[in-house]
Amino acid sequence: MITLYDYELSGNCYKLRLLMSMLGIEYKTVPVDFYPGREHKSPWFLRINPLGQLPVIDDDGLILRDAQAILVYLASKYDPGNTWYPRDNPSLLGEISQWLAFADGITSTASAARLHDSLFYELDIDAARAGAHRLFRILDEHLWFGEQEGRDWICSAPNPTIADIACFPYVMLSEEGGISRQDYPAIRRWCDRVKRVKGFIVMSGIFPAGPARAA
Amino acid sequence: MLDTAKNRWHPIAAAHDLPFRHVFHAQLLGREFAVWRADDGYVNVWENRCLHRGVRLSIGINDGRELKCQYHGWRYANRTAGCTYIPAHPADAPARTITNRTFPSAERYGLVWSAEEPEGEVPDVSGLTEGQLLVLRGIPVNAPADRLVERLKSYRFQPNDRIDGEAAAVTLEAEGEFSVALRARDGSAKTLCVFFVQPVDSNRSVIRGVLDRDAEGAHRLSILRHHNERLSALRDAAERQAAKEPAPPPIDPTFERVSIELSEMPELAAHGRKASLRVQVARKWKAAEGIAAFELKPLKGLLPTFQPGAHIDVHLPNGLIRQYSIINGPGESESYIIGVKLEPESKGGSSVLHETVREGDILAISEPRNNFPLRRDSIKTLFIAGGIGITPLLAMAQALHHSGLPHELHYFAQGKEQLAFQDRLELLRDALTPHLGLSPAETGARLRELLTGYRQGMQVYLCGPGPMLEAARQIASVLGWPETAVHFEYFKNTNKIDDSSSFEVALARSCVTLQVPAGKTILEVMRENGLDMPSSCEQGACGTCMATVIEGEPDHQDVYLNEAEKRSGTKIMTCVSRAKSARLVLDL
Repeated sequence: MITLYDYELSGNCYKLRLLMSMLGIEYKTVPVDFYPGREHKSPWFLRINPLGQLPVIDDDGLILRDAQAILVYLASKYDPGNTWYPRDNPSLLGEISQWLAFADGITSTASAARLHDSLFYELDIDAARAGAHRLFRILDEHLWFGEQEGRDWICSAPNPTIADIACFPYVMLSEEGGISRQDYPAIRRWCDRVKRVKGFIVMSGIFPAGPARAA
Repeated sequence: MLDTAKNRWHPIAAAHDLPFRHVFHAQLLGREFAVWRADDGYVNVWENRCLHRGVRLSIGINDGRELKCQYHGWRYANRTAGCTYIPAHPADAPARTITNRTFPSAERYGLVWSAEEPEGEVPDVSGLTEGQLLVLRGIPVNAPADRLVERLKSYRFQPNDRIDGEAAAVTLEAEGEFSVALRARDGSAKTLCVFFVQPVDSNRSVIRGVLDRDAEGAHRLSILRHHNERLSALRDAAERQAAKEPAPPPIDPTFERVSIELSEMPELAAHGRKASLRVQVARKWKAAEGIAAFELKPLKGLLPTFQPGAHIDVHLPNGLIRQYSIINGPGESESYIIGVKLEPESKGGSSVLHETVREGDILAISEPRNNFPLRRDSIKTLFIAGGIGITPLLAMAQALHHSGLPHELHYFAQGKEQLAFQDRLELLRDALTPHLGLSPAETGARLRELLTGYRQGMQVYLCGPGPMLEAARQIASVLGWPETAVHFEYFKNTNKIDDSSSFEVALARSCVTLQVPAGKTILEVMRENGLDMPSSCEQGACGTCMATVIEGEPDHQDVYLNEAEKRSGTKIMTCVSRAKSARLVLDL
């Protein structure tokens, strides 16, 4: 059984909960008191992850850190449909990796702004917000042209991939860092689509969508 | 410039920004809008705040018929923005004052237009022909609108058919305060591009471009990318310039209180039953054997918000007033649909509607009233309809069906051909069970089956002929249903009204004491003395003229209150009920 070292308010932990829910994977969690306890910097946690970062999973003794890396692992191992991370499709794997790196960029900007506003981290908030807006502009343009081409998801697959899961949480939580999504209508529509994927779950600050219109 | 801008139409979205079941977040001149397309295609442009706690409705849920706030689940109807349900008050119909502010909307040139107080129609733009256009990606820019209009005048682009060239000559065809029209020519190829600059706020804008001709496939995409690239460059330059200049203060929109029309009580009239609306019979058809259906459309404007269970008074050409339930499903706000059964002993109500009223006729109706509100917090809801009693229950069942809430609709009728509104019934699928051709004894047995198995949290709604309702209420009581879970609506009050008593009525709020003699009702005596109150059926069935009793013992003669309510002595139907005590004090 997978153990997730988890913090409820972490978008990176939520990514894993979300994918595991969509894949129907059973798991248990070990709550880590990220704030205010700073338990992720405690000796016991540093032994598990010397970087002192969440999330971490333990899958029968295999310990993995880094949200994007864990998404790759989970989708590779537990997706019988082989659609979330299609191992035999090099061009798609390339696309996915590109957007996983982009998701890291969202974490270092939009998530950082949220840590500043919500958990009182000291950092250059203007730079964090400006960086997030720069990335959101790129993502919105990409998704808008995707819609024009008949593509619903970040990568050019007819179904969502882990790239969507990696980018979704901190986009959806951006307003908690003072970053409005008003100027990104294509991102807002894509968020609705992600929320309608079977197995979607919410977290604090991420609300559900209603059902799509019956065809 | 921005002072007069609120009277002009501005684009606030592209039509493609509004897929079904989505809420678009728009802004114009500092004011935010929640913009959503209902399943019937209507584009709603609303103030972006829930009337309850001010949460943005743009994060709400568009269920195709209504918009539901994410915070406490208040629901607002398509078109009217009237509140239809408040989860924290599941047994009550929301007040009509709970209506969000709406703004005009129009779809033209592939764009969605709105304004606070627009004058006239969306202006004609020469050179753009509806249906042949290509709408560019909207480009949000952190810069004032006038700066962008200036820059767009020197925008350079290639015509559609020479998109890979470089040599186009671009001429300025027209310009306005918020628009620029340019034509690119390259050899024989030419394309007209019209830009509308949406003033989002004093220092924020969206450039919305429309080309006079569409294209297909890869060619279309390359045109879209061509403009996206050039407009992004224009945006970057404009933002660099704007960043160097002091930013103008953001526009502070004014948030109006509820409109005067909504906040005031309706005017007093000579009698209480007001036909404040004029509607036209847009369609009349046979809904079943002996049942005519009427679709009533407003002569102007929108019809007021209704909730499932609501009825209207129809003022007939012969002076009679009759009540009919609205059978519409949620969000069907363009018209009211009613079903009218031809009564063999009609005194001129149903027979006039069946025989005389035709499509195109104008009728006077009252605003909808809901004295039969539907709870939506039930673990399971049973609807039991007898004959034409289907009408309020059909509206209710459609509402629960659309929200995916558990319910069953049991429809008792003589035969299949008596089942009204077949098309709507079919949409309810497995929730519908017809019970056809049963004798009174068989009906009683079937009701016992249906009402067996009450669990706390279930609700039953009954509407049908008097004897059937009496039986169903009796059976429900025996089978353990509490009175609070049994909701009913009678067609008419068949009780023999005893108006032989005379008594005194003190109206506590009005500081008036009146004598009610034998042969007159409380309502009549009040009206004779210039005190009005709303009424509808005036026979003790609908619940409109209910008053709160402060002192004294009412003599209930209505069929609206249930037994527990009657025993409590706290409510009275002023149209039929009287006093057993010498004096009644009412909270009026």
